[in-house]
Amino acid sequence: MSLCEAEKTFVLHGVEENFRLDGREREDYRPMELETDIVLHAFGSARLRLANTDVLVAVKIEIDVPFPERSKEGKLEFFVDCSANATPDFEGRGGEDLAVEIANTLSSAYRSKHAFDLTKLCILKGKKCWKVYVDILLLECGGNLFDAVSLAVKAALWNTQVPKVHGVNIDGNNIELNVSEELYDCDRLDVKNAPVMVTVCKIGEKCIVDPSVAEEQCSVGSIVVAVSGDKFSTVLQTGTGSLHPATLMESLKLGHRVAQRLDEALWATLRQIKPGQDVGFLK
Amino acid sequence: MSRNRDLLSKIGLRLDGRRPDELRRIRCKLGVFTEPDGSAYLEQGLTKVLAAVYGPHQVRGGRSKAQHDTAIINCQFSMAVFSTTDRKKRPRGDRKSTELSMHLQQALEAVIKSELYPWSQIDVYVEVLHADGGIYTACVNAATLALIDAGIPLKEYVCACTASLANNDVPMIDISHQEEIIGGPTLTVAALPMSGKIVLMEMSQRFHMDHLEKVLNKALQGCKDIRQILDEAVRLHVRDIGSSTGWANTS
Amino acid sequence: MFTTKVFIKKTRIGNFLKNVREHYIRDDIFCGVPSCDKCTPVESFLSSIHKNECSSYDFNHYLILDTNVILDQMDVLDEDVIGNVIILHTVLKEVKHRSLPIYKRLHSIIENPSRHFYVFTNDHHKDTYIKQNDGELVNDYNDRSIRKSCLWYMDHLPKEKFIFLSDDVNNRNIALEEGILACSIREYVSHLVNGAALEDKLSRKDYHIDSNTKDVFPPHLTNVELLNGIKEGALYQGTFRASRDNFLEGFVNVESLDDPVIVQGRTGLNRAVDGDFVVVNLFNKEDWISPSEIVLEDDGVAEENIDEVEKKERQLKKSAHKKKGEIKPTGRVVGIIRRKWRQYCGILQGGMDGVYQLFIPADKSIPKIRIETRQAEFLRTQKLIVTIDSWPRHSRYPHGHFVRALGKIGDQNTENEVVLLEHDVPHSQFSEEVLSCLPKLPWIITEEDEQKRVDLRHIDICSVDPPGCTDIDDALHCRPIGEGRLEVGVHIADVSHFIRPGTALDLEAASRATTVYLVNKRIDMVPDLLSSNLCSLRGGEERFAFSCVWEMDENANILNTRFHKSIIRSRSAMTYEEAQMTIDDKTKTDSIAESLRSLNKLAKILKKGRLEKGALVLASPEVKIQMDSETMEPLDVEVKKLFETNSMVEEFMLLANISVAQKILEDFPECAMLRRHPTPPTSNFDPLVKAGRHLGFDIKIESGKQLAKSLDDAVKPDNPYMNTMLRILATRCMLQAVYFASGSLQKDEYFHYGLAVPLYTHFTSPIRRYADIIVHRLLAVTCGSDCTYPDLLDKQKTGNLCQNLNYRNRMAQYAGRASVAFNTHLFFKGKLQDEDGYILYVRKNALQILIPKYGLECTLFLAHKGETSNIFEYNEEDQTQKAGDVVLHSFDPVKVRLSLNSDNIQHEKFVLQLVSPCISGFSVPPLSEIEKMEVVDDKKRKSANDGHKKKNKKRS
Repeated sequence: MSLCEAEKTFVLHGVEENFRLDGREREDYRPMELETDIVLHAFGSARLRLANTDVLVAVKIEIDVPFPERSKEGKLEFFVDCSANATPDFEGRGGEDLAVEIANTLSSAYRSKHAFDLTKLCILKGKKCWKVYVDILLLECGGNLFDAVSLAVKAALWNTQVPKVHGVNIDGNNIELNVSEELYDCDRLDVKNAPVMVTVCKIGEKCIVDPSVAEEQCSVGSIVVAVSGDKFSTVLQTGTGSLHPATLMESLKLGHRVAQRLDEALWATLRQIKPGQDVGFLK
Repeated sequence: MSRNRDLLSKIGLRLDGRRPDELRRIRCKLGVFTEPDGSAYLEQGLTKVLAAVYGPHQVRGGRSKAQHDTAIINCQFSMAVFSTTDRKKRPRGDRKSTELSMHLQQALEAVIKSELYPWSQIDVYVEVLHADGGIYTACVNAATLALIDAGIPLKEYVCACTASLANNDVPMIDISHQEEIIGGPTLTVAALPMSGKIVLMEMSQRFHMDHLEKVLNKALQGCKDIRQILDEAVRLHVRDIGSSTGWANTS
Repeated sequence: MFTTKVFIKKTRIGNFLKNVREHYIRDDIFCGVPSCDKCTPVESFLSSIHKNECSSYDFNHYLILDTNVILDQMDVLDEDVIGNVIILHTVLKEVKHRSLPIYKRLHSIIENPSRHFYVFTNDHHKDTYIKQNDGELVNDYNDRSIRKSCLWYMDHLPKEKFIFLSDDVNNRNIALEEGILACSIREYVSHLVNGAALEDKLSRKDYHIDSNTKDVFPPHLTNVELLNGIKEGALYQGTFRASRDNFLEGFVNVESLDDPVIVQGRTGLNRAVDGDFVVVNLFNKEDWISPSEIVLEDDGVAEENIDEVEKKERQLKKSAHKKKGEIKPTGRVVGIIRRKWRQYCGILQGGMDGVYQLFIPADKSIPKIRIETRQAEFLRTQKLIVTIDSWPRHSRYPHGHFVRALGKIGDQNTENEVVLLEHDVPHSQFSEEVLSCLPKLPWIITEEDEQKRVDLRHIDICSVDPPGCTDIDDALHCRPIGEGRLEVGVHIADVSHFIRPGTALDLEAASRATTVYLVNKRIDMVPDLLSSNLCSLRGGEERFAFSCVWEMDENANILNTRFHKSIIRSRSAMTYEEAQMTIDDKTKTDSIAESLRSLNKLAKILKKGRLEKGALVLASPEVKIQMDSETMEPLDVEVKKLFETNSMVEEFMLLANISVAQKILEDFPECAMLRRHPTPPTSNFDPLVKAGRHLGFDIKIESGKQLAKSLDDAVKPDNPYMNTMLRILATRCMLQAVYFASGSLQKDEYFHYGLAVPLYTHFTSPIRRYADIIVHRLLAVTCGSDCTYPDLLDKQKTGNLCQNLNYRNRMAQYAGRASVAFNTHLFFKGKLQDEDGYILYVRKNALQILIPKYGLECTLFLAHKGETSNIFEYNEEDQTQKAGDVVLHSFDPVKVRLSLNSDNIQHEKFVLQLVSPCISGFSVPPLSEIEKMEVVDDKKRKSANDGHKKKNKKRS
């Protein structure tokens, strides 16, 4: 979608007036839908729909060997795939740049020990650990990908069930794990402080959150902040424009505030989800 | 021999409780996304597929590819990395995906009235969310729905179905992943069920000529059954859309 | 309806996957009960006529079984007293998961319509399917599912009664609470009308431990302890092999150790049974011993009494010695990982009263088994089959139960049955389903048949077989066709015309694989109608054949080969002897005689050519037992006579097989069924080379050709039988020839060593060998007279088939030998005879003697086991025994007296005594002299009796 100058001006004026294209105020989010347990054969999954943005996240776990320099930690890996269903531009390797950017941002947001405790994924120091794959599939792009992805990832990790390890048999270099094969006998991951990302978008002189596709095009620059609990875990400036330090600080504050509100809303929603619902794309 | 025998119990039930000529549960929905011109979601048992159609639109990437008498049908098959039980490394670009893309294109070219859109292109993208046997068939069926949702003229439905042989004797249709693993060869057929024409046929292993005919016939019957299900879904969808615009009662 | 099953599974590489499977729930599953009018009926073997009569319940009823009943009490279920049994799918799956052999047995019962079993697919039925609760163990879930089905049946068919049998007390009690009629199998069987015989068959696992009884064995370690011990290297695992001579000794073959580990005594063996996979604990090196050399037999009678064992143990300990160089790792069994218990053949030990009886297995390496029976009196006269259930710590012997009786001990039929069972030969009657595949009589040749086949009825064909042969599968002809050329035809019965692939008949034949010949019984691979009539190429009858026709020149060079299906009429079915006489009788000039003469001439050329290429002439003494046709007792035992015509027929069969092998491999490079004979490893030839060296011959073994030549050269004019003996030895060096699928091996491995041909198969005896049927089918495809079918072209399936054929062939061979041995024993019972023999091997304390007349090989002991003789001097270098001025070499002719020792009814043995050369103080005078002396001198008879006494002494 490309906008002409007049359209851009219209968007800009709306932001100035705190009355955006779809009637929202600057700090408002579009409606969201969240479902979990949508991918049955994954250990955890979630689908988040933020207006027209559609993100599907599935978590798979495998047994792996910890990195030698971090022998007490498990592994967490993010993989983003931009489906061509979202836009023909993503066909082939077209979406790779965007995918890598999102994945990297997620990795750095989760790297902090405060945000996500990897030591809990370690089974046997230096020998065995869980490797958690978080696979993100972008099905439709309606703007504000980072926020949607971070919420979906957090929900999916919350949903994840890690089989309980009952015992470890060590025989020289050969390690055998005695893992519970009963489904209900699982551990949940601790995602209390898992980061929530908020994209703060500067349009004209004002900052907004949750930009739509049209608003993203009018933006001179934007900042993605990942907030874990009450701390920032990563900050990323995207877009071509430049920001004044004062604007930057202001945006950070805005992001921080909104992120905490968003996190609360997410928890409220997760608590309401009942298990065993027949969900999915058929709704 | 004994391995094959297990596919069908004495009272004629398959491992999942189906009879040999029963399809898996098919559920589908048209118009699941707003961005593409047409989209559809289809579940065939546990195999879940999303399909999106863009176009007809201008040929992308240089006009030189454009055809003066027909539209280019561009298909891409992709599997989510979490779609299989074992995590995949890449969603697409491997040989199997490329092959499936080509087969999909072959089946769709046979049915789209592409001569109506010279100099243009139609994109069909399918994304497998859960692979549990019969991926190709689910993709074809979902793509058909997405094309209908996009309003692209088709000669008729194109439906695909798999079939195999249980106990070396009884043909069975719509093979699940479990049956694919322990069973023998699988026959995949994409057909135009109304005219009975076959647009694509593929066999996974050697098949003895003696069995081919009865297995093929079963697969074709499966295609016809699928068409009926798809047709109902389309009619329901059109009625839903229609009712919001007020012409539902005219049908 | 639709639901999913989710479970986590560990993969091979140690990862964990979450699997999801679909699970459909239906409303069209038949309950199986004939009186039901609510379900849509499908085939069900449940019967409204069959009655389960149990005195605890005064009504007819259906039975629903719990998994544990099936797993533990299969022998009871095998009896056809209990019927109308509903097997729930949940139970069936669990059984399959737990024990495949039990599952197979259950499956065959379910398949049998007369047993009235029905599988109810409860887990897919809408009313009986239940969801697994959160936190519910799989076991509890299955129990709940079973009870749910019981309740459903009661609700579904209020007029019928259902009884739930379970040995799980917990499950039974809950069932009773829920209002289900439930009881244990023991309770049920004991109240069963006609159930007395069944009670013996109840498996006894539920022994209660009496605190007063003394433990006979130390406890086994727990599984975890065992696994940890193995991992840490403190314990070793391996297969336990019991000693045949000493019941208190055994060996454990541990892979990581060079020598087997010796285990001795009650605590050392600790309830291991031959074949079990056990865990051993090694002693310290200073406690290691060498294998004992004493013979100990278990004389135990009473269950409680272990004094006698303790005595024997002391005896063993006393004899325990530490010979230098023979000390082997020693240890004790501390646990058993896998039992290899099977069903055992044997007899009851006499002299015991009460319900507890001891069973002595025929296999000496298996301990006696304690069984409970109320018909001991009767069973004592019978050969039995018994199986082991458990071996608790407090019991001297394993506990088992009686499975069935085979028949009277010593009876021909019983012994045949034993031979067949011990060799796993399928020998039941052909089922109705199989018989229904047979062609209807009268069988006529239709016009269509005539069009498809080459009509050879005008050609003078004849067959040559042993006397009394009714399954004639080959016939021959030979006629001049001008220009000095001959047309030679081999015509093989066209069995594949009658046995179509995939039919019940075909499957049965494939499973039997071969016809088994016992001395007085033939166990056919295909029903009699085919084997002795429609397929058999009988004289004067029109029959279908598969012909292999060559054009040859006078020198037996093949100019061209054809294969086709044909119709033939054999002019005459001759015996080898008749054919020989026809050839020799110069006055006969009819076409048959001429034909036979030409064949004979060609065969000689072929044979010469074959031998020049390095084919081996091997020998093994084959005997024929003359049976009295009325009493079925052996009249005489003799070596089979061989005529020139034997070799003539053989030559052409070989030629046909080779020609066919080439043809089918050409057309089916991947799935041709061929036969190969692997080159034996050189170490196999050691005894032969050694024996040759002692005689002054250099036996070369580098190639088959050299071996054949050196065997030909090893002739001693003064001992004509010696060459045959060498060939007998050579035969024993060989490996077994086997069938294989061509695609499974490299081309150079196809070689047939004995025949020295690169390719070989079996084509010429389809009536009695299944491999030939497959070869016929392949050949029929190549010559366009038949079409293929999927399994024929499947390399994997052909490979599996070959394995079965090889196994059955081997077993058939062993069974045949066992039958000959039994009948030879029967013949010699009570006889005392002097016979000519040859020394095959010279051993330290014995001579191995071959008696060619009876094809017997027996041991002549020079001294008691473990002792050295004071008469004989053993020379290890030259392999000789010297007594005074008599020196005994290998291959020396001797005269021996032969008698049968029947002390052990299950293991009769031949006893030999030396007659000549005469060695004073050891040899016995010839029988003929004794008879003379009997008349002449009373005094001398006494001395002969002394000889008898001495012999008796030696037996003990």
